[in-house]
Amino acid sequence: MSASAIPLRLALVGNPNSGKTALFNLLTGSRQKVANYTGVTVERKEGRLLAPSGRSYALLDLPGAYSLNPASLDEAITRDLCRGFYPGEPAPDVLVCVVDATNLRLHLRFVLEVRALGRPMVVALNMADAAERRGIRIDREALQHALGVPVVETVAVRHNGAKALVQTLEAIADKPHAPEHALAADADLHEETRRLLSLTVTMPTRTARIDDVLDRWLLHPVIGLVTLSLVMFLIFQAVYAWATPMMDAIEAATAWLGAVVGNAMPAGPLRSLVVDGIIAGLGGVIVFLPQILILFAFILALEESGYLPRAAFLLDKMMAGAGLSGRSFIPLLSSFACAIPGIMATRSIQDPRDRIATIMVAPLMTCSARLPVYALLIGAFIPKQQVAGLLNLQGLVLFALYLAGIVSALLVSFVMKKWRRDKGEHPLLLELPSYRLPHPRDLAIGLWERAMIFLKRVGGIILALTILLWFLLSFPAAPADATMPLIDYSFAGRIGHAMTAIFAPIGFNWQICIALIPGMAAREVAVASLATVYALSAANDDAAAQALAPIISDGWSLATALSLLVWFIYAPQCISTWATIKRETNSWKMMAISAGYLFALAYLASLVTYQLAVAMGAG
Amino acid sequence: MSTSLALQYLVVALAVVVSAGVVAKKQFPGGVRRLRVALAIPLVREGRPAWLRAIGRSIAPTPATSGPGCGGCDNCGPDPHA
Repeated sequence: MSASAIPLRLALVGNPNSGKTALFNLLTGSRQKVANYTGVTVERKEGRLLAPSGRSYALLDLPGAYSLNPASLDEAITRDLCRGFYPGEPAPDVLVCVVDATNLRLHLRFVLEVRALGRPMVVALNMADAAERRGIRIDREALQHALGVPVVETVAVRHNGAKALVQTLEAIADKPHAPEHALAADADLHEETRRLLSLTVTMPTRTARIDDVLDRWLLHPVIGLVTLSLVMFLIFQAVYAWATPMMDAIEAATAWLGAVVGNAMPAGPLRSLVVDGIIAGLGGVIVFLPQILILFAFILALEESGYLPRAAFLLDKMMAGAGLSGRSFIPLLSSFACAIPGIMATRSIQDPRDRIATIMVAPLMTCSARLPVYALLIGAFIPKQQVAGLLNLQGLVLFALYLAGIVSALLVSFVMKKWRRDKGEHPLLLELPSYRLPHPRDLAIGLWERAMIFLKRVGGIILALTILLWFLLSFPAAPADATMPLIDYSFAGRIGHAMTAIFAPIGFNWQICIALIPGMAAREVAVASLATVYALSAANDDAAAQALAPIISDGWSLATALSLLVWFIYAPQCISTWATIKRETNSWKMMAISAGYLFALAYLASLVTYQLAVAMGAG
Repeated sequence: MSTSLALQYLVVALAVVVSAGVVAKKQFPGGVRRLRVALAIPLVREGRPAWLRAIGRSIAPTPATSGPGCGGCDNCGPDPHA
């Protein structure tokens, strides 16, 4: 490649949450590549911007940074890259400093730091539409004049929202030049930011007033915590109460589909695969989609409204006492849906020690994949009784299981805190954005993405595992003179019986042992696996069509059910979570410690539960 | 064995093989990548027939990183300035 063909290198820099990545996606479309920076687990995103002129630019999305005086690995990488000091990375030709137009008080300070580097730059006033809606009036030309660099408005979430930015980049591409103004080295950046704001920005008084009033209550040490508890309680109630009609409909549709397909196909291995394997297995998992969507609707709404950072602020003291930080709150909350995004969300925790502690306890949060197991066992073994004439006993048991996960996480992090040498606490630095009403369109897009992720999982890894498990349960066929149940001769039957040597002390039968194996790939598959195992074990079609709950309530002891419930509080993570921990910590040792301690906790807790239950006559 | 039953077994076998591939690729991507490299190398050696080398190239995984000079994305396409 000739030197003239080397594309101009642009780099997007800015504070976290400035919309940099959305702008990057808008500019590059699918022409992007995601990797890590050499030797570290900080994501490196590079893409190609193809301008209308036909000219091509290499575009780098740098890690979010509040300052070029780094307090985290992300900020150090951004600083070194902007200066051209990062090994193996040429200096960008033009820096595009992305700022949130609704929060210029915070973001302009960073612009001044970037400008001080003396490199060619453009300021992208992102979320210009949101600023306008809130009544924030920005005199763009005055700001451009005061900063001495081009300033353009962008709306990263709108098609053509970066048109002005691309035009400006095209204009300066041939002749990049350094900023016209510069501050003295010892200048006070806060003072300069205030001066720029007073010259170029008019803020509405109403927004600030609403924020102050709400914060007075929601950040109150007592009322704020009570409100947070109520919000969490409402979320969990809604997840179980509101989802029921949809779940019933999905269950009925699955049963109908199984019957129709079973009647339409001739008897044979293919019908067994489709009806007993695929439809029974996947139907048992898809049924939990409504619960997942309700949970995410709340999380997205809280995030959009600006409440989540405040919840982190409220919990900071309590979490610091247990060896975590307020920043751990959002990753841990995400882990209630799935540990993987939760672990990835720990990237926002700047302190490596707090980050590792959060990663270690994130799998203890009850992920949505455990819901099917809890729902199945509670439905089968806990009677539908009212407690104190008000509360549902099954609901209370479920709440206790969630609480057990949270308490265990706090205990584990507390023990980790006692063991480590550095017992100091790190201050929490958080940006509290203005409150805003969540936009229905953004919520709908977020939920759609979440539903697609789940359904792709069902159609991908879960379907593949269900087919493999069906194969292992169906082959080889039993001999003609078989004396045991036919399934006992299958590969899975033999593996399950072999595993009982380890799991018999905690009360697990061979069917449970078998379900644990595919459950390592995705925990919700454990229920689908039990459904397939019992469907294939059934003496006839009527017995196979029977729901799973009555089968296990007849066949298992209460001690076994309690033991399995406790197992799933701690159950070792799925393989994808292991891989995520390895990738995020860049350490096999951390992954092994995480898997090892969770397995040990699960086994010990189940052993104690089972043996106590048996001693009390529940065996 | 009837033709219908034989066909059923064929479909089941295909489903199982594809499922095993999907699970291996999703759960053990590094291992699958190494396996593909190990399978492809003998096929693309010099002196092998063109068709065998073509098979080897299709088995080989795509490079993890692009070379210097490229923008770094997976699909650069023709360079308008070249």
